[in-house]
Amino acid sequence: MGGLLASTLVYGLVNSVVLLLTSLGFSLTFGLSGVANFAHGGLYLLSGFLCWLLMHRVGLPFPLAAAATVLLVGLLGAAIYRTVLMSVRGIVLSEVISTFAVGVAIVEFFRWKGFTTYDFTLPALVDGSVDILGVTVDWQRLLIVALGLALTGLLWLFTHRTMVGLALRGMSQDEYTALSVGIESDWAATLSLGLGSALAAVAGIALLPLGIISINIGYDVLLIALAVTVLGGLESTTGLILGSLIVGFAMVITGNYVGPRWSEVVYLAAIVIVLAVKPSGLLGKSKELEDRV
Amino acid sequence: MLEVRDLMVFYENALAVNDLSLEVRQGEVVGVFGSNSAGKTTLLNTVAGLTLHLQQRERRKGGMRITLGGAIRLDGEEIGGLSPRARVERGVVLCRERHPVFRDNTVEENLTLGAYLRPSGELKRGLESVYELFPPLVALRKRKAGMLSGGEKEMVAIGTALMARPRLLLMDEPLLGLSPLMQAEVVRGARAIARRGVTILISEQYARPILPIIDRGYVIENGALVVSGTGAELLDNPEVKSAYFGV
Repeated sequence: MGGLLASTLVYGLVNSVVLLLTSLGFSLTFGLSGVANFAHGGLYLLSGFLCWLLMHRVGLPFPLAAAATVLLVGLLGAAIYRTVLMSVRGIVLSEVISTFAVGVAIVEFFRWKGFTTYDFTLPALVDGSVDILGVTVDWQRLLIVALGLALTGLLWLFTHRTMVGLALRGMSQDEYTALSVGIESDWAATLSLGLGSALAAVAGIALLPLGIISINIGYDVLLIALAVTVLGGLESTTGLILGSLIVGFAMVITGNYVGPRWSEVVYLAAIVIVLAVKPSGLLGKSKELEDRV
Repeated sequence: MLEVRDLMVFYENALAVNDLSLEVRQGEVVGVFGSNSAGKTTLLNTVAGLTLHLQQRERRKGGMRITLGGAIRLDGEEIGGLSPRARVERGVVLCRERHPVFRDNTVEENLTLGAYLRPSGELKRGLESVYELFPPLVALRKRKAGMLSGGEKEMVAIGTALMARPRLLLMDEPLLGLSPLMQAEVVRGARAIARRGVTILISEQYARPILPIIDRGYVIENGALVVSGTGAELLDNPEVKSAYFGV
């Protein structure tokens, strides 16, 4: 197989799962609570720096620092709902503005504190590499693929096969009917913000070892999550996977055949095109139509 | 069992329920009749705690001002300040109007969610009990609830409420928009539920289809009580008879 084609296939798939993992928390929170958590990128960045600080300032070993980071960022997500979002729940614009403000505050806090050097990196969970179709891929990337697919499957099981997951989905579909059977709406939203934030941390800890932790990644991650979920269709797991595959392969194809600096234009273009042509996304549900059926 | 005393509900300055008092005794099926905007849904939502939830939500975000007054007592305990969840735990379960279902969930997932506050060991028996009551749901158990007909959705909605093991079931216009055949099926279901010992407070615009199963009824207009009595007594009132009984 040709080198460039094989590279496009292998890295297209790897990149797609990277995008899937990056967006999973954002999509989960939106799907379960209706809140577009624009602090997602900030929380992703925070997880990187927090894990680094726990390792290098507190002295925790990496696995412990990673676990503590996921827990703390998850709790922070829950706290964001209780302190920032609860009073504006249901006012979409206010939800977006307030979560975006939290995200910007996190990102800019680290810039202000001087976390702008090349000193901040997280260790890879596994070292070494392997050849696939003649293309060298490091084990960390393969681990990310396995983690992304496993987490997607586990989240599907959680939301479809557990009572808590069903309750969260129920609340997202019809709050007052969910209240009528005893599900509490603030509890559901707190949990979904917490879970989504914890997933942002998992993504950060898995993906940030691929490079350095740079401040602007906080904004990039938010844009990627937006592009993938908007393209696939909000509230749709299959749509999220499809969106990740399309944007993931489009970025790699553009990078390989047009030029690396154009690949980042792809996800921005995806947002604009989808909003102009099919705002509900490829697999998004047209609730208005469905309600009429 | 349920005692509502001098209930007042204001949405901003609009009076939705006006000094309303009613009583539902253990084992009874009681009807609440009234035209559109008479206050039936607000009454049932208030008994179930949804109006209080909305009031707290709106207060937090500085939105619509909702004022609640009066007393709601269940077995002598004041429940007017309790959350919807606490009321479900006490056995007060609302089946809302317009056949509400979780549309992206299957029928069985909808029913399962009804048992959210029940011990997991009760789930299997609860499902069997609902399928006994509404046999057509057995074949639909894997179907997405959003794709069902109005009557099927109503069966799912009632079944979901039953899974919460209500002692007092509040049914808000369960017959709205259903064909006569489906109306008869839902009324049969309500009668069977009552026979299982569940007390029912049911609202409808027109009383005639549910007249055979009610013990007593209240007619309300503009949120206030107009007349109350047994089905026969209500039928004796010429104005009520023509307005709400369609005869």
